[in-house]
Amino acid sequence: MDSFSSPSSGSSTSQPSPEVFMDQLKTQLAQAYAEEFLETVRGKCFTKCVTKPGSSLSGGESSCVSRCVDRYIEATGIISRALFSSPR
Amino acid sequence: MDSSALNSADLQRFIEQEKQKAMVNEMVAKLTDVCWDKCITGTPGSKFSSGETTCLTYCAQRYMDMSMMIMKRFQSMQ
Repeated sequence: MDSFSSPSSGSSTSQPSPEVFMDQLKTQLAQAYAEEFLETVRGKCFTKCVTKPGSSLSGGESSCVSRCVDRYIEATGIISRALFSSPR
Repeated sequence: MDSSALNSADLQRFIEQEKQKAMVNEMVAKLTDVCWDKCITGTPGSKFSSGETTCLTYCAQRYMDMSMMIMKRFQSMQ
């Protein structure tokens, strides 16, 4: 398990303390997850809402995008509950 | 190099937990992706219909059933 041995921002050769390392890892994982989520939402909502791209985003498209983002987040919650907290 | 700090039991446990969390996140993200396409067919409204909510719930649960089935099927082939 030494694939984590190079600190990304540490100076020279000193190892980060475990606490610092854990915090960094958590932050990086959260960032990666957020980026992936954003990318998915962009794709889904573009497909749903911008069906014929015009010279600018119309009001209708913008409000569709807002609703789409809200619904996608809601859907993530529904899926999560379906898997982990509803009686099978 | 001195990696004693990184090999502490606490850290191993931490990494194990994060791995687990990442797997769960991955699964929820994947199922949301797939089930969104299956269940949300119109333009998104300001609220899910009960049909859409039910579809999402069933979709996730049936996907898990199916994946279990496929796993068993493959195991029985060996």
